[in-house]
Amino acid sequence: MSTNTDCRQIQSNFPDYLIGDLDVKTVDSIQEHVTACTSCRRELEELTGTWTQLGILPEEQPGPNLRKNFYTMLESIHQGVESSPLKKLLNSLKIKNVWEKLWPRRPVYQFVFSVVFLFIGLTVGYFIQSGPQESSEITQLRRQNQEINQQLAISLLNQDSPSQRLKGLTWSSRLEKPGNQILEALLHTLNNDPNINVRLSAVDALYLFADFSMVKKGLIQSLQNQNSPMVQIALIDLLVQIREKQAVESLKQLIKKNKLNPQVKQRARSSLEKLL
Amino acid sequence: MTDEDVMNKVKSGNVKILALLFERYHVKLYNYFLRLTGDKGVSEDLTQDVFFRILKYRETFRQESKFTTWMYQISRNVHFDHLKKYKNEMPLEEKWEEEIAAETSPEQKTQEEQEAVLLHRALSRLAPAKKEVLVLSRFQGMKYREISNLLDCSLASIKTQVHRAIKDLRKTYMNLKGGVL
Repeated sequence: MSTNTDCRQIQSNFPDYLIGDLDVKTVDSIQEHVTACTSCRRELEELTGTWTQLGILPEEQPGPNLRKNFYTMLESIHQGVESSPLKKLLNSLKIKNVWEKLWPRRPVYQFVFSVVFLFIGLTVGYFIQSGPQESSEITQLRRQNQEINQQLAISLLNQDSPSQRLKGLTWSSRLEKPGNQILEALLHTLNNDPNINVRLSAVDALYLFADFSMVKKGLIQSLQNQNSPMVQIALIDLLVQIREKQAVESLKQLIKKNKLNPQVKQRARSSLEKLL
Repeated sequence: MTDEDVMNKVKSGNVKILALLFERYHVKLYNYFLRLTGDKGVSEDLTQDVFFRILKYRETFRQESKFTTWMYQISRNVHFDHLKKYKNEMPLEEKWEEEIAAETSPEQKTQEEQEAVLLHRALSRLAPAKKEVLVLSRFQGMKYREISNLLDCSLASIKTQVHRAIKDLRKTYMNLKGGVL
């Protein structure tokens, strides 16, 4: 017969039971107890029933403005960082300026300075002899890792299933230094993928690599080839976010197209004003 | 690249790479706020605010911290500030009811949809502290240990709150179903 203390002890494990975070021995002891104890059995059934029932509440998707606003904010902060007072201060302290201030004017002191620096250089060189080998191994490993990630992303982008291709896009965003091969694959996906969601995600993935001239050029060209208004608008927004002046001509051409969706035309016009 | 690797890069000036963390977490955060506020527009704004604060306070991210714990700390502050600002606004439950009424009539709903409506209503009637632990553990997939670190409570207290939250939720749900409340 179970006591109140037994029941309290068993019930204290119920929250872990719900998420399956118990060892086999404890699960066995709970099951043994609830077989004999009606009130604990009812309690556990009610808890698990409600916990499972909560699974019917679907995960909802936010509206498209959330993503758009985020990328606009990110771009404006990125521009802000580039022109921040700290950056200007760092630029003003460039090595050349500092060196000019430190280097002595009299030849005797210049000679003494040179000898001291030569000595420091030789000493440091002696002590870090083993360094380059180690660091070159790490660099090689990193390069191999990059290469594997890149090949995996490319192979996923070529799969038949759209969800696999979306995974490929996510994988590509892990690359720190993307090679031409992956950039070409991403642009190819943007221009040729039959699924609109994949093409839209390709726009987002390319945002991370928009500093590459090849990507900028590809995005501008793609604007003329896209036929989905959603993808066209995403591309226009991206080109405005990265302040790509070279997109001006492409936007003008797009506006001239007769069969262009009115919303796209309107967006292209307002974006043109922002870029000019 | 782990969340922490990405955040450390953001911290050292590569702000654009935050896009990765946005893609990983914005839907989850949006749903976190949606379960707490019951308002879609507000949840989008609060999610946006979290990422804004992540950027603004990026210097305060500690290398050894877990990114998601830090992100949820910011999210809780964002939600708290929102409650302070709009404390006189319509209570959560009325919002759910308004949205539900606007969508479809009860006859048009399937049994599962009706069940979901009742669950939403029951969830919105839970005490805020209980609702928070339940949302974090059931919908955000956080471990009890992580929740206890986030809320600065003991592990035992979190488990007790989860247990009580489910019991209260069930009681309210059954009452709503039987038309008692």
